[in-house]
Amino acid sequence: MAGTKSALVLCMDVGFSMSNSAPGEEPPFELAKKVIQKFVQRQVFAENKDELALVLFGTDSTKNPLDRDGQYQNITVHRHLMIPDFELLEEIENQVHPESQQADWMDALVVCMDLLQTETKGKKFDRLNVALLTDLSTQANQDHLDVIIENLKQAGITLQFFLPFPAEDDEEGGGDSDRRGPGHPGTGKGLSREQKESLDLVKHVMLSLDEEDGLDQVYTFRDAIEQLCMFKRIERRPMAWPCQLTIGSCLSIRIVGYKAVTEERLKKMWVTVDAQSNQKEDVKRETVYCLDDDNETEVKKDDTIQGFRYGSDIVPFSKVDQDQMKYKHDGKCFAVLGFTKQNLVRRHQFMGSQVVKMFAPKDDEHAGVALSALIRALDELQMVAIVRYAYDRRSNPQVGAAFPCVKQDYECLMYVQLPFMEDLRQFTFPSLENNKKLSPSDTQLSAVDSLIDSMMLVQKDDDDADQKDIFKVHHIPNPAFQRHFQCLHHRAVNPGTPLPPMEPWLKAALERPDVISERCQAPLEEIKRKFPLIEVEKKKKLKTSAQIFGKDAEEPDAKKAKGDEEEDYNLADIAEGSVTSVGSVDPARDFRTLIKLKSLPFGEVCQQLTHRIEQLLSNKNTHYYMKSITCIQAFREQSVKFLVVEEKKEEAAVPSAEDTGDVDDLLDMM
Amino acid sequence: MAEWNAYYQNEDEDEEQEEGEQSGGDYKVTGRDSLVFLVDASKEMFIKGEDGEPSNFDMTMQVVRSVYTSKIISSHRDLVALVFYGTEQSKNPRNSFKYVYVYHDLDEPGAKRVQEVDALRGEKGARLAAETMGSGETSLGDALWCCANLYSDIKLRLSHKRLMIFTCRDEPHRGDSAKDRQARTKASDLKETGVIIDLMHLMKPGGFDVAPFFRDIVSQPEDESELGLHLEPCDKLEDLQKRVRAKEQKKRAMARLNLCLGEGINVAVGIYATAVTARKPAAIRLYRETNEPVRSKTRTFHMQTGSLLLPSEIKKAQTYGKKQIVMERDEVDSIKKFQDPGLYLIGFKPMEKLKTHHHIRPAVFLYPEEGEVKGSACLFSALLMKCSERNVFALCRCVSRRNYPPRFVALVPQREEVDEGKVQFTPPGFNVIYLPYADDLRTLDPPQCPSASQIQVDKMKEIVSKLRFKYRSEAFENPVIQQHYRNLEALALDMMAPEDTEDLIMPKVDQINHRLGPLAEEFKDLVYPAGYNPESKSVAKRKTAIVGGVAEKKPKAEVPEDELRAHVQNGTLGKLTVPVLKEACKQFGVRTTGTKKQELIDALTTRLTDTV
Repeated sequence: MAGTKSALVLCMDVGFSMSNSAPGEEPPFELAKKVIQKFVQRQVFAENKDELALVLFGTDSTKNPLDRDGQYQNITVHRHLMIPDFELLEEIENQVHPESQQADWMDALVVCMDLLQTETKGKKFDRLNVALLTDLSTQANQDHLDVIIENLKQAGITLQFFLPFPAEDDEEGGGDSDRRGPGHPGTGKGLSREQKESLDLVKHVMLSLDEEDGLDQVYTFRDAIEQLCMFKRIERRPMAWPCQLTIGSCLSIRIVGYKAVTEERLKKMWVTVDAQSNQKEDVKRETVYCLDDDNETEVKKDDTIQGFRYGSDIVPFSKVDQDQMKYKHDGKCFAVLGFTKQNLVRRHQFMGSQVVKMFAPKDDEHAGVALSALIRALDELQMVAIVRYAYDRRSNPQVGAAFPCVKQDYECLMYVQLPFMEDLRQFTFPSLENNKKLSPSDTQLSAVDSLIDSMMLVQKDDDDADQKDIFKVHHIPNPAFQRHFQCLHHRAVNPGTPLPPMEPWLKAALERPDVISERCQAPLEEIKRKFPLIEVEKKKKLKTSAQIFGKDAEEPDAKKAKGDEEEDYNLADIAEGSVTSVGSVDPARDFRTLIKLKSLPFGEVCQQLTHRIEQLLSNKNTHYYMKSITCIQAFREQSVKFLVVEEKKEEAAVPSAEDTGDVDDLLDMM
Repeated sequence: MAEWNAYYQNEDEDEEQEEGEQSGGDYKVTGRDSLVFLVDASKEMFIKGEDGEPSNFDMTMQVVRSVYTSKIISSHRDLVALVFYGTEQSKNPRNSFKYVYVYHDLDEPGAKRVQEVDALRGEKGARLAAETMGSGETSLGDALWCCANLYSDIKLRLSHKRLMIFTCRDEPHRGDSAKDRQARTKASDLKETGVIIDLMHLMKPGGFDVAPFFRDIVSQPEDESELGLHLEPCDKLEDLQKRVRAKEQKKRAMARLNLCLGEGINVAVGIYATAVTARKPAAIRLYRETNEPVRSKTRTFHMQTGSLLLPSEIKKAQTYGKKQIVMERDEVDSIKKFQDPGLYLIGFKPMEKLKTHHHIRPAVFLYPEEGEVKGSACLFSALLMKCSERNVFALCRCVSRRNYPPRFVALVPQREEVDEGKVQFTPPGFNVIYLPYADDLRTLDPPQCPSASQIQVDKMKEIVSKLRFKYRSEAFENPVIQQHYRNLEALALDMMAPEDTEDLIMPKVDQINHRLGPLAEEFKDLVYPAGYNPESKSVAKRKTAIVGGVAEKKPKAEVPEDELRAHVQNGTLGKLTVPVLKEACKQFGVRTTGTKKQELIDALTTRLTDTV
């Protein structure tokens, strides 16, 4: 399904009422613009083939294909259907302003539908969607309502509304959006008559399109900024994986798997470029092989073969042999090994990085019934199927659990990978409860109790059994993506300027909800009083250059260097053998010795050491890095001493020879 | 299929990245772990149990072998030694100790060693042991001294030193107080050098009494709280294996973080990986001529000048469309930085809010670090008790490492559980479950399918009950890894062919068929119409597609009248397909307005029951 793509029209109200706001609140126009920016930004960076159009209404001028006889006035097709780009982002930034007219949103919707129908001709789109952002302040013309709804249905166009206020009262639609206190601008004012009428109309349209969940596609601007409402609608659907669920050799059920949950990653990687030219062609990475001898003799790649470690043995094992002898299997499979109680499959033993949902194929109701029987049987018995799962012949088979999932509108099996014996590490930890010294007292326990009470994120409403979850993680867009796109966007549009700070809403979305913060104040104070926590003084873990070179590394202190020297040095080292050059075993010691002996000029010894350091650094291994650090330490310490001596000679100040910045780079590399 | 394929091809890469993320914690300890098996070789050890149960010696050798092979797979750099005491022959570095036989000195286990331990197993093994070592006098003091020498002969830095004594004799010197004293002195010498001594005492008639002698030999638990000496001796291989395994792996924190409840309330915790996907190790490059390993060096240099590029001389870039966006290396890092590493408490939720399908990566385990912040264990313990009691989890924001973007995690309480033998099988602490963001959940369009009737469900329940088993997570070996090591073993030992591996995740088809008996057919009769073949259908479809899209004209779907009537009576009309039902409607002259299946069924049912 590589070719799937969506077409989306963003239809934004820029009329004068959009600029109205209560004091201290952001006008709806600004919020709506942010929604659009955020959305287009992500689309640009997603680099898919989805196409996008932008229609503005309430504009002072009129520019649309339906503009005839004074109809469809003050509606502007700002951009026709095409793949969004940086230009569009810049246009939205600089050209979309509040204007002073008002236009009928129903008319605007018709313009969008017309645009979708004419501009998608001859191209294949899987999804057509119109997103309308408006405050619903104009009275809408209801004359052709039925025709419009019928047309939407026939063309398969889905609709989304984005409003400054929630479509329904708090208990439903706006459920988790009002967690940040005062909430939506507009709600406080109460709605005008036009808005109320329009809202009823919106509900009517949405429910005619989708009886059950129609209203789920009506959002507030706030929701839209903080969540991914628009994306979910046009998102590409995961690939189908058709297979057969088998129970023994006599019973099989056709199934289709879809990856339902998996950690999404950024698609694009950073490439390394030369700092001067910004060209990646100027940078070349090369891997060479060398023997582990003193000269580090290089060998050609062709002169190497493949081997593996078997404990202390290294076994040469060619790729050909390996392929021939490796574990092979029959490929694609979803075979039941047996059934077990759900509680024996522990949540924390889930492995892998995905959940696959298994349905029956769309066109096979017999498979549907058979699968439904299995799902319901498992559900009623509180059991799961333990299965062997192999994606295809090339991939390694897994063992996993298929959980039954019975929802109101669908049933499926959910597959999760389980561990192999080799994956498990059985650690034992000291008991906490049976330890008198550690066990909390009753007053301490009750302090924790009241903390939990004050910090419950799920509240039971008194009147109905419905629970309200005020912090749904799976509604938060990955902040790393948001931040990444924000910075890329900024750098693309304003090269040469520093990166912008994080957006406040993003920061806020990751924090404890205000309600909770207020409520837990007192219980937290109580915890603080009841549980003394004393930090144990320890050496800093993070090594900075200052720590490596000692506190006062910044100011060369000859005396100190001298003091150290006496301790570190012992004659045995020198007597051990005659050192003639800086070797690879203990270059720092050799270096010190040579400096001490003065058998070679200072510059040459330094050069030898630098060479060794470079050699050490070419090995990607902590051990070598540490070794090179000791070399640099020695280098610095000797240089400082050398300088002091030189200074005395010349009575002139010489700047420090070492640039500590590079050492930080070195530490970063580790 | 593009998407799936792409995922699977990148799997290794992806997970490597993850692995890096996981194991990237600060491994401060750089030395090797070491383990010495000090095994009693006295006659008593060779006495077979009733009903042909293996002897204590045999059992011990099996455990030693499994530790060897698991070390080879999971931590090949650990050093292991196998020493026997109470032997007739002696063999040790300077041959200064009598009755001590160093079978393997401290080294990385390899194929040969596995083979040599294998040789000591079973009937044959007992004979071999008698021939090579025999059973003689016992001086545990000498044995311990000898082990101390093994440790001191090692030039490598050792980080974790453990010694396990396997014996079934609680009074090895039979009351010789001088020898007892010597053993105690040597044991305390060893302990002083950081060696932890464990006793794996085995069953003997009359019971094993730890008190008189061994209590002073073994290490005291690190703190009062640690599970001390097991008082019950082992009599089962499984138990012994469990006990050894529990002690054999040194646990290391991947990271140490603060769990911050609020301003100034920081609980120090360690994060431990209790399940990490084991993989085939990466290949090593060897020099063709000598088979010696070669090192690889990767260098970044400038194409034109050929000079090596320093980190400060490179930048990072991404290109979108024609636009290249360039950033400094530290800018790329800083984009990812939100907060400093740590866990920050957001609030609590009832356990039922943790959805099974909210799974994106394996969980990790949290345990307090009293050594970092004093008082951590107490507050941690209080949180654990209360969360568990109230059946809630703690929702936290988690930054696991420097410059890592935040993720939200559920801290799920886990109380300690011990088995009858007082061996802990679930440690106390919080399991950390990573939660998905909105981006990680994909939108699916579930197909509309009819649900099964209760009769059909009940039939499936019978099938499910027939195939019940008790799932244990350690029951399945990874056939890919096992095969790989068998291959290496065969090559390393010049065996003709690798040992067979049993693929434990292969369904036992014959057994399943046998157990199900007629149930499978009965179920199929209930859900599938005659002639429906779930296996061939998709294949047939594809074939016609290949032939060139000229789909065969479907044969007229007709069902004999009596069969239809039977369906009506049994209420199983739903098994027929819509075209068949339509045809049947025509056949009986039933006029239907609807095309929905249920409408067709209803119409047919009314018609056929009327005419009966």
